Amino acid sequence: MKLSARVSPALSLLIVAAAALVGFASALAAVQPSAADVGPTYAVRGCRIVPATGPPVEKGAIVIRDGLIEALGPAGKVKIPGDAEIVEADGLVAYPGLVSALSNLFLEPPAPAGGQAPGLAAGFPGQARQAAPADDRFPPGPGLLVLDQLKPKKASVESFHRAGFTTVLVAPTQGIFEGQSVLLNLNGEDIAPMVLRNGAALHINFTTERGGYPSSLMGTIAHIRQSFIDADYYAARQAQYARSPAGLKRPAYDPRLEALAPFVRDRRPVVFQCNNQEDIKRALKIVAEFKLNAMLAGATEAWRVAEALKKSPVPLLVGLDFRPPATSKYATQGEELRKRAEAELYPANAAALARAGLDFALVSGANADGAAVLRAVRAAVKAGLSKEAALRALTVTPARFLGLDRALGSLEPGKTANVVLVKGEIFDDGAQVAAVFADGVLFKYAEVSK
Amino acid sequence: MTARGRVIIAALLAAAVASAAASAADAAAEAGPARRGGADGAAGAGGVRGAGGADAKVAAITNVRIVPVVGAEVASGTIVIEGGLIAGIGAGVAVPAGAEVVDGTGLRAYPGMIDSYSQLGLVEISGVAATVDNRETGRINPQVRALEAVRYDSMHIPIARSNGVTAAVVAPSGGVISGVSCLLRLDGWTNREMAVKPMAAMHIELPGLGGGRGGFAAGRMGAGTARVDGPGILAELKALFAAARAYEKRRDAAAKDARLPLPEFDETSEALLPLLKGEMPAMISVHGERDIRAAIAFVRDEGLGAVFYGVEQGFKAAGELAAAGIPVVLGSLYDLPPVWEDGYDAVFRNAGVMAKAGVKVAFSSSSSSLAKDLPYHAAKAAAFGLDRAEALRAVTINPAEIFGVADRMGSLEKGKAANIVLADNDILELRTKIVRVWIDGRECDLSNRYTELLEKFKKKGSNL
Amino acid sequence: MKKTVALVALVALAAILPPAAAFADGGSILVKNGTVLTVTKGVIPRGDVLVVGGVIKAVGENVAAPPGVRVVDAAGRYVLPGIIDSHTHIALAGTNEGADAITPEADVGSVINADDTAILTALSGGVTMVHTMHGSANPIGGANVVIKTKWGRPSEELVVTEALPTLKFALGENVKQSNRALQPGQAQRYPATRMGANAIIRREFERARNYMAQWDRYRKAAAAKNPAANLVPPRKDLRLEVLAEMLRGERVARCHSYQATESLEFMELAKEFGFKIQCFEHMWEGYKIADELRAAGIGISVFADFWAYKMEAAEGIAEMAGYCHNKGILVSINSDSGERIRRLFNDAAKTMKYGGLSEDEALRLVTINPAIQLGVDRIVGSLEVGKQGDIAVFSEHPMSAYTRCDMTIIEGDVYFDRDALVKEREESAAKAAAPGGEGGVS
Repeated sequence: MKLSARVSPALSLLIVAAAALVGFASALAAVQPSAADVGPTYAVRGCRIVPATGPPVEKGAIVIRDGLIEALGPAGKVKIPGDAEIVEADGLVAYPGLVSALSNLFLEPPAPAGGQAPGLAAGFPGQARQAAPADDRFPPGPGLLVLDQLKPKKASVESFHRAGFTTVLVAPTQGIFEGQSVLLNLNGEDIAPMVLRNGAALHINFTTERGGYPSSLMGTIAHIRQSFIDADYYAARQAQYARSPAGLKRPAYDPRLEALAPFVRDRRPVVFQCNNQEDIKRALKIVAEFKLNAMLAGATEAWRVAEALKKSPVPLLVGLDFRPPATSKYATQGEELRKRAEAELYPANAAALARAGLDFALVSGANADGAAVLRAVRAAVKAGLSKEAALRALTVTPARFLGLDRALGSLEPGKTANVVLVKGEIFDDGAQVAAVFADGVLFKYAEVSK
Repeated sequence: MTARGRVIIAALLAAAVASAAASAADAAAEAGPARRGGADGAAGAGGVRGAGGADAKVAAITNVRIVPVVGAEVASGTIVIEGGLIAGIGAGVAVPAGAEVVDGTGLRAYPGMIDSYSQLGLVEISGVAATVDNRETGRINPQVRALEAVRYDSMHIPIARSNGVTAAVVAPSGGVISGVSCLLRLDGWTNREMAVKPMAAMHIELPGLGGGRGGFAAGRMGAGTARVDGPGILAELKALFAAARAYEKRRDAAAKDARLPLPEFDETSEALLPLLKGEMPAMISVHGERDIRAAIAFVRDEGLGAVFYGVEQGFKAAGELAAAGIPVVLGSLYDLPPVWEDGYDAVFRNAGVMAKAGVKVAFSSSSSSLAKDLPYHAAKAAAFGLDRAEALRAVTINPAEIFGVADRMGSLEKGKAANIVLADNDILELRTKIVRVWIDGRECDLSNRYTELLEKFKKKGSNL
Repeated sequence: MKKTVALVALVALAAILPPAAAFADGGSILVKNGTVLTVTKGVIPRGDVLVVGGVIKAVGENVAAPPGVRVVDAAGRYVLPGIIDSHTHIALAGTNEGADAITPEADVGSVINADDTAILTALSGGVTMVHTMHGSANPIGGANVVIKTKWGRPSEELVVTEALPTLKFALGENVKQSNRALQPGQAQRYPATRMGANAIIRREFERARNYMAQWDRYRKAAAAKNPAANLVPPRKDLRLEVLAEMLRGERVARCHSYQATESLEFMELAKEFGFKIQCFEHMWEGYKIADELRAAGIGISVFADFWAYKMEAAEGIAEMAGYCHNKGILVSINSDSGERIRRLFNDAAKTMKYGGLSEDEALRLVTINPAIQLGVDRIVGSLEVGKQGDIAVFSEHPMSAYTRCDMTIIEGDVYFDRDALVKEREESAAKAAAPGGEGGVS
């Protein structure tokens, strides 16, 4: 039988278009669809429900209205409203939409790097960040909002939907202080309605400036530290002047320090890209020095510094690129070891972190190919990560890291209707995403016959 | 002045050889104006060849421990130098009347060492392009000849010589065909005068393994994969050689028959013909195992005489190299293994493995400023499995055989050129001091850039 | 062919095993029956060195192993303190912050890479400690760090906190960038002359003095009984903070120099500002000003004979290290290279030929002398009771050309064991050659 006999493809498109037309005004308001939104109500029926926060429901139903989960439970106990479009989902599994708390979705790939800073790994998001700015109108810096650069593409949305993702944090990719990320719910093709939160976090990368200072990693570390010192000093001078300007030289306005100050003074979130085990320790030192509210991204060698991370717990946004970083001893002692490490060691990073009791989310990072991301998650599961832990690392944990766990990350009444319907268990090879609800908007990807 | 020059050397000697040094000073004084010391304003000059009749002088080194390399050691014997040659050598050899007598008590006599690949006279200060002449631009340069650019008064030559290196192959490098090397005696007033073999070998370079991903030197040289594209280059060379042979055929035919068109002069083909006719060997820089095998087949197919140079993975193809009878000149051992899997000691044990398999090996400094270190490469290989006697042969008789001059040099034997080094200890040892050196029977001045500068600044009074 | 490939694979995996097996000794080991070269307390022809808990407990004859302590028989071999390299750039992610001429804020200690295989290379040459440094691109480079070559241990455990804090300075061709081709449109960096190099260093120290004075005034004003209402503290400047440490004598200069004049002038700057020069690096013309160096108590850290690679290195002489040593200057032989580091002992031995040093004296140039230069001679540099158990075992006297490092021990743990490596290689080869063995798999 068809997945949804009562929703024609044409109607689906209409629904998408309607959602796009309506739009969402501001970041947090996006979670609450505006009153003007009058999309269809859906009742998904017959599926197994894996809510991520509670036990699975074997034969369940989910009612979705106005972008929210209205009701959820065993099929017999959930009342199907009269206005609902019925989505027959027998044999499918419903998961919360996956969240990638770090991606480069909708960003134009930067031009090939002219040169790579020593000590930075190949193939990681950091590598791409060596490149010349793709667009000179957006010089990187703490005040840059990546939202301004995004060029949404239907193909990218579909690629991520098909891997189960409904929510992504998009981070900028260039410079040391790369700028601020935006959190998106992948509910269509227009950017504004997708925005959950602009300026979600400040992203910092241990890279270098092209043709200028700093040109080395050690210079970069000094530069980051001096920048936080300066931002703090700047804000203190501004505050001092605001308190009592008499007799004080007016401190000059500095847009860079102005943008940076809230991250060092008000603990707004900062994400450090850490491409190898040493980067993690370097970031931890800076975080401690300036008491930052930080997350560490990449961290594909986090298992090697698990002890240090236990001592200074910090949210980890763990990447799924299993190539050993270029500086790693697993990359520099011959091809045989490098290949073995890529196949066996690095995929087991997440499992090791779970065993160590560390708090981590899994992220897609620079990988724009949703299917490859999902394959990598499955590889991590094969390398010992439990499916439950993998699901948490892609749902409730990133939602919590991003401060949106009351709205996102699990299937519960009242939460955003980000639901993925999968034929098979999502982390099993061959499982296929059949349909996705993002903010209650239905995207149909497979004609699944029973 | 000359006596003072000798005193410098005497000052450098350990107490154990003080008496020998003193006699050396005397001998030098006798030689009088035939010599040139270090501090006469010709600082760094390479030529110290005695003028006039000095060559004809008859000399005898007595009471010396003779390490002839070919033949048995003599605990205490005499070497007679006459007409530039070794006229007599052994335990019971008489000192000819009127001969200058050098008392070698406590010293050892070795044949002068031969550096099988150097940049002596082509590279003076490696970082100053104006002083570098070993690397022509372009890929195919069989027409360039190292001898024609050798700076005979290079400051590096007297330094190498004063450590017992008396002959050296001077090689061009770069591109695919780098040019023709020469074999020099490290003594003479002009480049031509120094030439033992003006055309020693045609140099061909296959890609190196340096910087292979995961190699020891990966961090140093930048990442990349170990290159094994030698076979492609060898195919290109085959085509060049075929063209040269075809050119020769047409040229020769046209020379005999005026009705045939005379081909345009082809520099590359002309320069390759001596190689193709077997007048000189190809010295092929080859590094990886696969390339080594390909190069063995190449020289067999082309019927070339060949010497392989570098050969970092020779230990993996030692049997084939031995079977093909191709000698190997090792590159500098001051290098890291380019391929991690070969093990940290690969460049050190390489020579020992090859020699055991029957490959004739020789060492090289692959340098100009450190050409003096030739013996230490041999000793390093000995620390990692090369037989010590073979290590000595690999800087003396082996290179002489490889470059076709074993009838003249490479060992202390009657009738060979009197290239003799008197040392106070094992010549491959770091602490060993070289006391006196003869090249073609002429005694060399051992002063050099080092001793000259040192003497100059020793004169600086301390006013502190 | 197939067999060879399989063998290669096995050797590769074997290569990472010894580090994993390191620290199995729990910091305790007894090295017995070797010729013990203590460096500071003479030679014991057949002696033992006992390390317990990382520290040397006994050096002498017939030392008994406490229960459970691993015993290494060094009969026929030579036992010496771990070799120390006073000047390298290994185990770092990046060497130079070359975008600016003055970069004391760039701290190489912040970019240690414990995964650098150059650490293994160093161990294979008996090296147990290195001073790993900022490069020579800038008149004032960055702060350096002293680390032990504890392969497999986390970077923070490598750092030798007892070492004297140092700052890299550089003079001459590298800082004036005379050997560097400018890109089109790129401006020549200041300084481009030795005059400029001296001037910019003077300027920075003047700035640092000023900075210190500003802070002093601020602190005094803030501590006053009735501080002014609108007191503004100076901006904290990481660059000048490091120079202030120099001026307060908390950090010493390690200065890359070649020529006599530039070195003498740097000594004038040190006098002018009252900072300490611990060592000149490379210093190929050091022999020309040996008396001045000795009088100023400045050491040198130099190559044995690697020279003539650039104009300012063309008046180097192989006799320099020995000559300066004989003049009473504290001399060390350094590698400055991830390759030369494994044959530092060979380079030290050259001073016997060029300079007439004894075996014992020559060995000092790569053991106790660099330890003194780094301010760690109380803990390493010789085999003495109470010092850290950093030991190298060599097949022949370390000053012989025929020698080879067979074992390297740091604080009682074996980090390099050639016998074990060779054994594994041979076993792998035998396995690969055996019928039905790994030979067919590739």
